[in-house]
Amino acid sequence: MASRRRMLLKVIILGDSGVGKTSLMNQYVNRKFSNQYKATIGADFLTKEVQFEDRLFTLQIWDTAGQERFQSLGVAFYRGADCCVLVHDVNVMKSFDSLNNWREEFLIQASPADPENFPFVVLGNKVDVDGGNSRVVSEKKAKAWCASKGNIPYFETSAKEGLNVEAAFECIARNALKNEPEEEIYLPDTIDVANARQQKSSGCEC
Amino acid sequence: MHETDIHDLSDDADYAAASSKYCWTMWSLFVKLLRLDVLRLGPNPAGLLGSSSMTRNDSSKRSSSSDPEDAEVVYLKDNVTIHPTQYASERVSGRLRLIKQGSSLFMTWIPYKGQGSNARLSERDKNLYTIKAVPFSEIQSICRHSPTIGWQYVIVVLSSGLAFPSLYFYSGGVREFLATVKQHVHIVRSSENANVFLVNNFEDPLQRTLSSLELPRSLANGTPSSSFRGSSSDGNQETQEDSVSSVQRNNRQRQKSHDPARDLSIQVLEKFSLVTRFARETTSQLFRESLVDGHGPTEKRKNNWASKENQHQEAALNDVETVPDLVPVAPDPLEFDKLTLVWGQPRQHPLGPEEWSTFLDSEGRVVDPNALKKRIFYGGVEHNLRKEVWPFLLGYYAYESTYAERQYAVSVKKLEYKTIKNQWQSISPEQGKRFTKFRERKGLIEKDVVRTDRSLSFYEGDDNPNVRLMHDILLTYSFYNFDLGYCQGMSDLLSPLLFILRDESEAFWCFVSLMERLGPNFNRDQNGMHAQLFALSKLVELLDSPLHNYFKQNDCLNYFFCFRWILIQFKRQKRSENLLREFEYDKTLRLWEVLWTHYPSEHLHLYVCIAILKRHRVKIMGEQMDFDTLLKFINELSGQIDLDPVLRDAEALCVCAGENGAASIPRGLHLRCPSRMAPCTNSKTTRCCEK
Ligand SMILES: Nc1nc2c(ncn2[C@@H]2O[C@H](COP(=O)(O)OP(=O)(O)OP(=O)(O)O)[C@@H](O)[C@H]2O)c(=O)[nH]1
Ligand SMILES: [Mg+2]
Repeated sequence: MASRRRMLLKVIILGDSGVGKTSLMNQYVNRKFSNQYKATIGADFLTKEVQFEDRLFTLQIWDTAGQERFQSLGVAFYRGADCCVLVHDVNVMKSFDSLNNWREEFLIQASPADPENFPFVVLGNKVDVDGGNSRVVSEKKAKAWCASKGNIPYFETSAKEGLNVEAAFECIARNALKNEPEEEIYLPDTIDVANARQQKSSGCEC
Repeated sequence: MHETDIHDLSDDADYAAASSKYCWTMWSLFVKLLRLDVLRLGPNPAGLLGSSSMTRNDSSKRSSSSDPEDAEVVYLKDNVTIHPTQYASERVSGRLRLIKQGSSLFMTWIPYKGQGSNARLSERDKNLYTIKAVPFSEIQSICRHSPTIGWQYVIVVLSSGLAFPSLYFYSGGVREFLATVKQHVHIVRSSENANVFLVNNFEDPLQRTLSSLELPRSLANGTPSSSFRGSSSDGNQETQEDSVSSVQRNNRQRQKSHDPARDLSIQVLEKFSLVTRFARETTSQLFRESLVDGHGPTEKRKNNWASKENQHQEAALNDVETVPDLVPVAPDPLEFDKLTLVWGQPRQHPLGPEEWSTFLDSEGRVVDPNALKKRIFYGGVEHNLRKEVWPFLLGYYAYESTYAERQYAVSVKKLEYKTIKNQWQSISPEQGKRFTKFRERKGLIEKDVVRTDRSLSFYEGDDNPNVRLMHDILLTYSFYNFDLGYCQGMSDLLSPLLFILRDESEAFWCFVSLMERLGPNFNRDQNGMHAQLFALSKLVELLDSPLHNYFKQNDCLNYFFCFRWILIQFKRQKRSENLLREFEYDKTLRLWEVLWTHYPSEHLHLYVCIAILKRHRVKIMGEQMDFDTLLKFINELSGQIDLDPVLRDAEALCVCAGENGAASIPRGLHLRCPSRMAPCTNSKTTRCCEK
């Protein structure tokens, strides 16, 4: 329906440089993989329309630079996020070790209303590499960490082969939606936009 | 169609007075160009009037075979003249036309060919001033001046804030001109100045430049006010009115809450700047010869007569004065990418080998580095010459070095490079296992070089040796400057250097020089970048306060949307590398060599940012872009950056900002972050890869 206001769900992808954040986002949104994506400088985002149970949402996926020294920029981008995706490369232990830092950093800078229950999703990427032979982060290890952080959903993905990417993002979108204030989910088709904005900001920005 | 008697024109009295009184310095020129105000403020010292024996009006000729078929000439006036200098012989007359094409109105002014024999201007110089089909969507305002003596003239100011030189209507016709414009586009009288007709936007301070030219008088007499009324009297643009004009209304309200003293100072600044720019341009473009050979104005003042025509106009003016106030025109946001014409110093052809040799003495020293930098600023360097010239621009070669000295230095540097490179090459796999920092740094570089400019044939394909070289140079650099290490963005800066220099050691040392300039942007704490963005916000505040206020209200003052521009110096605007063409790459090379000249400012890149933002300001504000949308918009401006006009705008803005601009930039930005910068939020926990 034309009058229906689409709800914007904001998702942030974090993780060390080179783990495949840009590739995952492009695989999901454009169904394309290129091994020539440039290192991300600053930040960028892509949007995708998603539908759940007869409702349309705009998923806004933020891709930020992975190198640590660019992190002070984060503040500007993290704010208002509905879900945070933490990515590591299953072939690089350090990228997995960094997850904890990324998560804490996000919680500090985004300061969500309810940090305990803020939705994260973890992706172990590049499972295709070398037929899995160069893998150093086991599924078990990753899942254990996720469990310890309040049962974060975990997916093993390959941006290159499109493996599990769709499923992972569907979960991401659902979790982002969960983060939205209850009442917004049941908004009527035509709503007072100004009013809705207020609700949203009081819901997730204070 | 040719106006012939140009040399017969007498000087304006003030010109004549000026020519004897002032010496030829920039400052005097500036004062002279302010003569308009002088004229208005006081009686003319000489009390003489200009003359014209050529009041031939050709406005009956209304067609021209060269026009496109669907274009209609709706106004034509001959003997419309610009006065680039005070010399009567250097005035350039031409034909002014308004052309209607579809729903758009364009203005052209074409100088006549082959004027009188004593004309001092070459055809080329004259053509500098040609106004080629400016659409009215790009015109911000027209200011009419009706001096009590002399000709009426108008100044046309573009949305970019730049102005064409004054157009003197020797054959009258200003009223008709404005009336014709009014028939085809909405114009509205400025509330600040009844002689200013606003065409598009209300809130750009540079637009107020025009009204600020009236400042002394308005200070003395109070400003004549005529308020905008919100009624629409012409259906032409009504459909566009809604959102944009309401933005403008909001802006206007915001504007009112300004500290008036501050606005005033901006006006004064702008008044200064516009004229300075004009002065500088005329100086460099046209006066050079006369400065050198000492030619003074030899023309005598001749008959002084008040043109009847002028009196007629004066009387007729009142018709225009009673133009009813119109609804503000909502500028069409889609029109704004087309800005192609600015009044600025034209870009030149790139520096070629022959000309380059004239900059060198017999032993290879650059005799006049400043002249060279200026030359390169205005034209860049031919591709094949870059290899030779870039090391100077970057400061790797000393300008005063001889061929022999350079040859020697290069060989010494080659050895030094090898030594540093060997420091990491000699790390054995066993040692590497215990050297996490090294492995991580290497890994980061490996990941980045394979993502850098790979669509260029120079870097494309598997196991490309040049990609390998980039890797080696960057890793060597991270040992040469271990504290800074490697940071993303560096590979983007190195790639063009290697591409041009085609030599590992040379590319390395030039990269070292480049990082001397840009290194602070890569600092671990990012304070360098924060300082840049801070300076940028200060400059926008100075040069375009409505845009600044807009950013402020929309939480965009951090200017992070310009982060990429600054960090990798406007390289690779396109998100998808596949679209990168050698042509795009070449544009980057050109921009870089221009920036490296540090002429007219070492911070020109900031003015380039502003020039681009200003080109899109109406779109940004009109569409009420929020932070996200703005970031996206800027990330995707991709390759649409039209280099020459942007550089001309940037130069103009830099001149406009003048010392106030320089003062806005934190001192030492270039070397290290000033302590007065707000510290970035640095709450992060230690992450091992960087420590
Ligand atoms: N084999 C394989 N390679 C991948 C996969 N995902 C990404 N890559 C490659 O890994 C490298 C880094 O990918 P990006 O998507 O650019 O990484 P990023 O996380 O965005 O990196 P930054 O922008 O530097 O933070 C690229 O060369 C990709 O081609 C994957 O699933 N499998
Ligand atoms: Mg990326």
